[in-house]
Amino acid sequence: MQEIFNHFFDFDLPGEVIMSLILIGVLIIFCFVIFILVKRADPLEKPKGLLALVEIGVDKVDGLVEDNMGKGFPNFGAYVCAIALFIFFSFIIGITGLPSPLGYLGVPLSLALCTFVMIHATSVKYTKWKYFKRYVDPIPVFLPVNLLGMWAPLLSLTLRLFGNAFAGWVLLSIVYWSLGSLSNLIFANLPAGPGSIFIAPLVTPVLHAYFDVFSGAIQTLVFMFLTMLFVAQEKPEEDKVEEQLALA
Amino acid sequence: MDVGLVAIGAGIAMISAGCSSIGEGMIAAKAIEGMYRNPEMANKLRSNMIVGIALDETCGIYSLLVAILIIFVLGAK
Repeated sequence: MQEIFNHFFDFDLPGEVIMSLILIGVLIIFCFVIFILVKRADPLEKPKGLLALVEIGVDKVDGLVEDNMGKGFPNFGAYVCAIALFIFFSFIIGITGLPSPLGYLGVPLSLALCTFVMIHATSVKYTKWKYFKRYVDPIPVFLPVNLLGMWAPLLSLTLRLFGNAFAGWVLLSIVYWSLGSLSNLIFANLPAGPGSIFIAPLVTPVLHAYFDVFSGAIQTLVFMFLTMLFVAQEKPEEDKVEEQLALA
Repeated sequence: MDVGLVAIGAGIAMISAGCSSIGEGMIAAKAIEGMYRNPEMANKLRSNMIVGIALDETCGIYSLLVAILIIFVLGAK
């Protein structure tokens, strides 16, 4: 028994991955709470409290999806909502001083991989076997170029999130370390541990507000927009033209 | 390796951040010009401006990432 307990925490997982798993658990519980609230709510009355807030958010995301992608993707708002919640709260974790899960390359890579798979799945769905034609477009000589260019969305989506989270964390660590040393110099008659905590709390909240909350919100928005635009451009344009012709 | 040379290399890598900030300024200037010329489009222009600025900022973030990697990987040797 003691043996099992000792090896229980011996996973070779990095802290960021454990943190993102905890975050996913919390978000799943949150979604279940919302689900129960929605089931119990009376559809004839005004929603209030948490439910009203969630309804406003879902409405906004659905509006964004329809503005950017047209009518062809009725359920795409759910995917965008899930991705946005996860990215935003991963950035928010940085407020506590822990490194954000997005600062570990595997986490943003897997998020970007979801979008990447979705891009190609949409392409296959709408163009069937002509999907492979995109690699020899416009002439077969361009095959190597197209094969390399295929990975550009994955790389740019990954490095955008990773760079933001990692650079913010490194800058904040440098600020914390230097302010701690400064505090050590000023309060020299205290021991090194307690002497280093006096100046940093006065300066760093502004930096946390910028690097975690503001930058996190903007990057979440950008990831949502890019996901929608990348997926929407895989849908051929003929449908739109036909719709307009039918209306006219 | 000489630490001073590593620091100079990191500084050269950050030139890209200056270039991307020039681009950001141009995007914001053009968007505000458009907003004043056509105030009804202001909301759409603003959201497009934010996306454009964030796309541009990515270039600066890449260079920051490269500079950090240069300092911590080459400087530690």
